[in-house]
Amino acid sequence: MDFASEMILSTIRMATPILLVALAELYSERAGLVNIGLDGIMTFGALAGFMICYLTGDPYLGIMAGAFGGVLINMIYAFCTITLRAEQIVYGMAINIFAPAVAAFIYRVYFGVSSTLAQGTLMAPLAIPLLKDIPFIGKILFNQTPMVYFAYLMVVFTAVFFSKTKAGLNYKAVGEFPRAAETLGINVIRQKYIAAIICGAMAGIGGAYLTTCYVNTYSDGIVAGRGFIALSAVIFGRWSSSGVLLACLLFGFFDALQLNLQVMNNSTPYQLFQMIPYLCTLVALSVFGIRRAGPKSSGKPYYREER
Amino acid sequence: MEEILRMENITKQFGDLYANKDINLDVRRGEVHTLLGENGAGKSTLMNVLFGLYQPTAGNIYFNGSKVKIDSPAQAVKLGIGMVHQHFMLVDAMTVFENIILGDKNTKGIFIDVETRKKEILELAKRYNLKVELDKPISEISVGAQQRIEIIKALYRGAELLVLDEPTAALTDMEVEGLFDVIHKLKEERKSIIFISHKMREVLHISDRITILRAGRTVKTLNCCDTCSEDLASLMIGRELAPTHYAKTAQPGENVAEFKDVSFNSSSKHNGLSHVSLKVGRGEILGVAGVDGNGQSQMAQIITGVISPDSGTLDIKGSRVSVYAPRGFIDNKVAHIPEDRNKMGLIPNMSVQDNIVLKSTLSPQFSAGNGAYLKKKAMRDYSLKMQEKYDIRCESVEQQVRNLSGGNQQKVILARELEGNPDLLVAVHPTRGLDIGATRFIHDTMIEARDRGCGILLISADFDEILEMSDRIIVMFEGKIMGEFSGNNPPIQEISLAMGGKEADSI
Amino acid sequence: MKTKSRLLSVVVPFVAVIVAFGIGCIIIAALGSSPAQAIQYLIIGAFGSASNIATTLVKATPLIFTGLCACFAYRCGVFNLGGEGQFVVGACVSVWVGVTWGFTGFAAILTCLLLGALAGGIWGAIPGILKITRGLNEIIVSIMLNYVAILFMGLLYTSLLREGSVPQTPAVPEATQLPRIFSDIRITWGVVIALTVAIVIHYFLFNTSGGFRLRAVGLNRTASRFNGFAVNKYTLASFIVSGGIAGLGGSVELLGTQYRLMSGFGQGFGFDGVAIALIAQLNPLATVFIAYFFAVLRTGATTMQVGTGVPTSVIDIIQAMVIVFAVAGFALVRMPQIRQYISNRASKKEAV
Repeated sequence: MDFASEMILSTIRMATPILLVALAELYSERAGLVNIGLDGIMTFGALAGFMICYLTGDPYLGIMAGAFGGVLINMIYAFCTITLRAEQIVYGMAINIFAPAVAAFIYRVYFGVSSTLAQGTLMAPLAIPLLKDIPFIGKILFNQTPMVYFAYLMVVFTAVFFSKTKAGLNYKAVGEFPRAAETLGINVIRQKYIAAIICGAMAGIGGAYLTTCYVNTYSDGIVAGRGFIALSAVIFGRWSSSGVLLACLLFGFFDALQLNLQVMNNSTPYQLFQMIPYLCTLVALSVFGIRRAGPKSSGKPYYREER
Repeated sequence: MEEILRMENITKQFGDLYANKDINLDVRRGEVHTLLGENGAGKSTLMNVLFGLYQPTAGNIYFNGSKVKIDSPAQAVKLGIGMVHQHFMLVDAMTVFENIILGDKNTKGIFIDVETRKKEILELAKRYNLKVELDKPISEISVGAQQRIEIIKALYRGAELLVLDEPTAALTDMEVEGLFDVIHKLKEERKSIIFISHKMREVLHISDRITILRAGRTVKTLNCCDTCSEDLASLMIGRELAPTHYAKTAQPGENVAEFKDVSFNSSSKHNGLSHVSLKVGRGEILGVAGVDGNGQSQMAQIITGVISPDSGTLDIKGSRVSVYAPRGFIDNKVAHIPEDRNKMGLIPNMSVQDNIVLKSTLSPQFSAGNGAYLKKKAMRDYSLKMQEKYDIRCESVEQQVRNLSGGNQQKVILARELEGNPDLLVAVHPTRGLDIGATRFIHDTMIEARDRGCGILLISADFDEILEMSDRIIVMFEGKIMGEFSGNNPPIQEISLAMGGKEADSI
Repeated sequence: MKTKSRLLSVVVPFVAVIVAFGIGCIIIAALGSSPAQAIQYLIIGAFGSASNIATTLVKATPLIFTGLCACFAYRCGVFNLGGEGQFVVGACVSVWVGVTWGFTGFAAILTCLLLGALAGGIWGAIPGILKITRGLNEIIVSIMLNYVAILFMGLLYTSLLREGSVPQTPAVPEATQLPRIFSDIRITWGVVIALTVAIVIHYFLFNTSGGFRLRAVGLNRTASRFNGFAVNKYTLASFIVSGGIAGLGGSVELLGTQYRLMSGFGQGFGFDGVAIALIAQLNPLATVFIAYFFAVLRTGATTMQVGTGVPTSVIDIIQAMVIVFAVAGFALVRMPQIRQYISNRASKKEAV
């Protein structure tokens, strides 16, 4: 396959986990919860997905396990920030420390400490019957693992949900002006918990993708900061699902670029290439991410009966 | 007339504080029933109980004859109670249409049926003579229009009883007339209204019956035609209050501050200034009257150095200001009582003591070596002195200032700002939300400062405060000055008109 | 009033530790080992001999630095999550100076430390400048820079400054290493530097005008601006100083303990520092104690693993649970209902 097709293929593959997690954060922030613990949730989702996939041989079960694991971890975050009103940023950090520790522990207990990584089952690509035969783009776009299709469908679903449905409108109100939403009969607390469930599930799936579709092993650093890159994607994409999609494709591109450059160019130290995604995130933010303007009540705790 | 609402022996406690104690209120169908009372009398609390935002500690509510328990706003709405809050519950980022249909549970289907809903709303609006532009975002419409949307929201959800909480606070006189027209139409359609206010003139104009609240308790319920404003005033306050009469300054001293043709964000009607010129002299109080949101915040922030004007100049004590930064103004003895004490004036999580000495930590009184060593004992002694002098009620000066009541918080700011003997004091809504005692104290202190030679720029939406305190009065409307009037025997009607946008001939 | 809140700040982390250990013991038992024995080995590992205590102190030193880094930054309302990057960058500069600059001894040590701190300060200034000039979220920027710093360090020890076939840099010459305080115990002057920094930071925050204003800015930016404080200057200063502290920590770790850079240098110190600062409720002196506690866990964990076979990752989980419970606990006691309950109990006691 020529370089261009290879790049597009890799871009899509590498954008997918970031996209899943970025959408997760979008759902969370639209309900007023800034969750910086995504990296941690992804790690745990990656572990859960890998373990179940390894034990059952079924990557789809792995994905579901990832979702389940993500929800479990995020419920801790949800309880502490929604009900106990802990500071969201602070608690997100706590989750970033807690979740990977649990993941590492479970892995070590089950597999012990060895230099060779355990191998799971890789999810096979699923070609979409008619679409894959479209010349040139058919092979690239429509011969991916189903998770990729899922991610892109979610983008469409999210866009429609927030702009055209009643539930979506009420959802957004919770992140913009929770007190007003409450006076209109919207159950703010319940909505926030639902948002946390969606966020946890999507982030967990994003993590599980890494260990069931991207590679078939689990290692401690597998997430490599993608959770934070996803956060930038939400800012960069200005809290709209189409913007987030573009941002994630951009970051996926840089991720793919650095991998391919490494392969092509043996003389230059590989670390320089690996820096590309992070530096590009910084540049993108500096140029486009001026003065974040997300949902108005994002980051603030909600008090029902305020005196 | 039949009864639509009865609130019986309602009590609401917050810790040790009784916000409502044994309150009794009944409202009849098709009547306008006013809840009258001073700030802090318990009106908003009672309505929050009615609307399900608070749960009563004791008491019962009967709606349409049957006993009800209102657990949440959703339930209140279902019963037919609609609330128009004092601070509007509108989402800035959404359009008028979206705000009206938000949280709607009655229609079927997942998707918003934009066509049908819009038609329904426009029909409703026509019936009650309420003008609305459905596709505009909230951030772009006027305060009066926002209020109309809140009323439509309530009617759209089938409200039979509407609660209007201080509805005229942010309206011009013309807009108030418009509101009263709507209220009459609502009465015609047999809707009931609870009208909450502390403005007696309006209350006497619009009400059928009036219930007076004082310190959390019901004082009396009477028919509007049976009473007059003096009676109401004494019932509200609980004693014969000698009206305060501060002596007015005859001749102001030299200029302490002068705006020359200042403009800021002049295209905006509600957040900008357009070619404003004014002077504040030593030993005088210049009162800036006008409904909130006509450029007063911007005026205050320019004259204290927080923001810089787009054009025009400002002179402080005769010298031209070149750099707009609060530090320089503070050093130049400009004091500021900001409009939002918790956001702009105080550090809520710091102690009373820390807030009192906030600006002065570099002074030799409180530190050695230009800030290298803080003299904690000196700070404490000084704070205790200030606590006594300004009657700040708190458990200790080490207490976090956010635990104090609004009045005492304001006194902390006063202590900080006035002790340095400022040349110019900029006071924005200094007594908003405070009870009579605190208000009187703050006014007395400000007059004392004026008599010592301080020039005061007093910005307030409280007309009575402006009339009482000012030596000269100017009126702000949509970023412009509408006229200048004497504070001695001020022409109330002219000033009122100016507040509503009619340009006056200046004196 | 004040003593009550002071009491709570100590009680909450204490309870968090107990609960975390409780759950940890259940996990240990589930793994088939004896919790009592595991804890015994943990304590021996950390306190059992002079050499063990020394090891604990040595392990605590970098955590004190990163803890102070997070603490100082957060006092100004700044989320400096780049402690790890700043730490690593400081070490990189130190190793470069120590190995390639040609001079050794006390002058070299001083140069390494100062330049290391400077490097950390610059690395910390980047998110600061971006935040002030373009309003960028410093969390994302500082974390991105963490990865860049770690990759750069990798570059150093795999190609630029590599020592032979092993992926590591040469060791800093002995004359440039931090000397021991007592010749027979492993503690170096690094600990003293860390404690000094803690005391200086504490003094600055609570006894100087600058520290007072910095704290005000952290608590209420708007009011601080209205009251004439140079908010942006204080914010940038806190980024630079906190970065500098972390950079100094990296230098100290290099010159005092590791002597060379290799894979895994500084790993986890940054985020642990944030956790430590949070549990210590942003008090610099408390940060020292909590850092020591974390070091106790880390040191004891190895002994525990050797002695009972319980994997060290159990300790990682316990540590993580302490953070989770402590932060939740702080939020819990701040809730209005709980406040009400506590003040009712207190007033009942006083009434009696």
